[in-house]
Amino acid sequence: MFTDFFYTLRKVGVPVTPTAFLRLHKALSMGLINSVDDFYTAARSILVKSERYFDLYDQVFAHRFQGVELKEPDELELSDIARSLLEEWLKDPQMLADVLGIDESELGKLSPEELMEYFLERLKEQTEAHHGGSKWIGTGGTAPVGHSGFHPGGMRVGGISRNKSAVKVAMDRRYRDYSQQGPLTQSQMGEALKRLRHMVPVGPKDKVNVRETIYQTVKNAGEIEIVFERRLKDRLKVILAIDNGGWSMEPYVELVQTLFNYARSQFKDLKTFYFHNTIYNHLWEDPQRHYKPLPVNELVRFDSATRFIIVGDASMAPSELMGQNGSIYFGERSGKPSVEGLRFIAKTFPHSSWLNPVPIFEWRYTYTIGVIHEIFPMFPLTLDGLEKAVTHLMRKN
Amino acid sequence: MNDGNQLKKFAGASQYVLDDELAKIVNITMALEMPLLLKGEPGTGKTMLAHAIAEALDMRLIVLNVKSSLKLIDSLYQYDTLTRLNDSRFGDSQRDVSNIEEYIRMGKIGQAFVSDERVVLLIDEIDKADTDFQDDMLDILDQMHFDIIEIDKTVKAKHRPVVIITSNAKKDLSDPFLGRCNFHHIAFPEPDMMKEIVRVHFPDIDKELLDSAVHTLYRLREIKNIEKKPATRELINWIRALKSDPDFKIKDLIKGHVPYLGVLFKKSPDLFIAQKAVGHFRM
Repeated sequence: MFTDFFYTLRKVGVPVTPTAFLRLHKALSMGLINSVDDFYTAARSILVKSERYFDLYDQVFAHRFQGVELKEPDELELSDIARSLLEEWLKDPQMLADVLGIDESELGKLSPEELMEYFLERLKEQTEAHHGGSKWIGTGGTAPVGHSGFHPGGMRVGGISRNKSAVKVAMDRRYRDYSQQGPLTQSQMGEALKRLRHMVPVGPKDKVNVRETIYQTVKNAGEIEIVFERRLKDRLKVILAIDNGGWSMEPYVELVQTLFNYARSQFKDLKTFYFHNTIYNHLWEDPQRHYKPLPVNELVRFDSATRFIIVGDASMAPSELMGQNGSIYFGERSGKPSVEGLRFIAKTFPHSSWLNPVPIFEWRYTYTIGVIHEIFPMFPLTLDGLEKAVTHLMRKN
Repeated sequence: MNDGNQLKKFAGASQYVLDDELAKIVNITMALEMPLLLKGEPGTGKTMLAHAIAEALDMRLIVLNVKSSLKLIDSLYQYDTLTRLNDSRFGDSQRDVSNIEEYIRMGKIGQAFVSDERVVLLIDEIDKADTDFQDDMLDILDQMHFDIIEIDKTVKAKHRPVVIITSNAKKDLSDPFLGRCNFHHIAFPEPDMMKEIVRVHFPDIDKELLDSAVHTLYRLREIKNIEKKPATRELINWIRALKSDPDFKIKDLIKGHVPYLGVLFKKSPDLFIAQKAVGHFRM
């Protein structure tokens, strides 16, 4: 009974468990549910465990019991395809101008938003006219560049020469002129791990050590001597956010990950997220930064005692940090400057720090490092810095 | 359905306005003998629900206020070693030092288990505790028994208590925890519902005051960038303040003059923002 209701719920992403489903049946067999209304409320309270899924549940319920059609994410998919095509093409403005049928010089005058809009319109026209058979819209294999197969989101709009300001020229980072030599290297891993070992919480000294108390009392000729010891506390939860965009971070990404993964057993929970340069509205769970976004606002759902560690060079164009739509990606229109997002994170997690592979003496040459330094306590990614960061993260307040 | 005692229906209480949906959920949860997890904005009456159930069904209410430092064992029972040590040394108490059981005291969950009649157990603000605490506690509530290791005794629940668990809406609880309870999210009440709630607390309230106070509340809730929006609790306190002020006139409220903002906004940045926003109301 209602099995397909159950499976539809699962399909749209409501995490329903078989146990919960059986429980619903128990409720049904007990005669507790006598109408569709009853069923709606009961099934929701038994099956759905978070208000975030209430809307999805409503949709499925309406679909199953009232025959309402489930919405397909057409629009979104279309613009997704368009974006990846566009990003690829932007590497070659000549070709883009050709396929869009406009002059290359005119192309330069369009803002990224205008360009995107124009492109989408063309795309829709084309799909309507040719039903996917078009030479240049094909999503399968007919397009000059496939929309799948390459590093999604990792492709940057870069090829257009630097003086063309109209297209969002997502140039390679402008502050790459620091030493390539990583301060922390693979060979120092063992040492670094030792530093991380200090990330163990200690409770107040309020637990009676019975054995020691007896021993000391006897030693004291029967005069009671109570020995207290530190209470064990719940192990730490750690969120690691890594800047894995661009080659300048590359030597460190793996290193930092390995480091924290080795230390994983001493944490209660270790989550790794990725971002590029700075954090806007989303963090990503997958290194490609495409499939599994986590809205930054959702971070409030995590325990605020979680240690939030960011690893990144904090070097970027000031506009990326301070601008309203600073992201170098087309799709990321945050509407508020990244610096706000960073402040939000720092406020949400009082125990946070930023590890920076850039040598400390170069920090003052980069504007954005200074700004971020004011938001997060920043430490160099060296043995020394790691030790200081751990001490900072373990502070009581 | 004839199992009278077990399936007493809950239909609201003198100080609690219940919507149909919630009533159904409470009754189903009680019949299925599962804990009910309530989420929702602060001040939407999560805790009050437990009080209301206890009152309506004439059961005793046992409240376990969860603190971050609370350990599961403390909510089950406590073995008072220090008193025993003291007694054994001075020997001037009535207790039998060799009988450990005399030094075992029941915690809140333990009390709910050993109670001679069915009780309502309210576990308030569960999200404050560690996830380990949450999971372990649900195990205990699932099986309805726990062991006292010091005296090797199993405490079984005489009657399954009605378990109400509340949680702040912000944080996620673990999956195993969610799997073991029924869930309901109490939405912020609609203005009409809100008026009814206020009327329960102030049966003789002036209609004009009620309308304009509720209207003002919903307007205030629309102010942006507020961390803690005023909710039912604040509204009721606020109306109480308005009623006790002899100088207050309803006309002022309609004109956009809002006194006692401090009752509605508890955080100083919020209050500051609200004061500025209320300034615009007047225009």
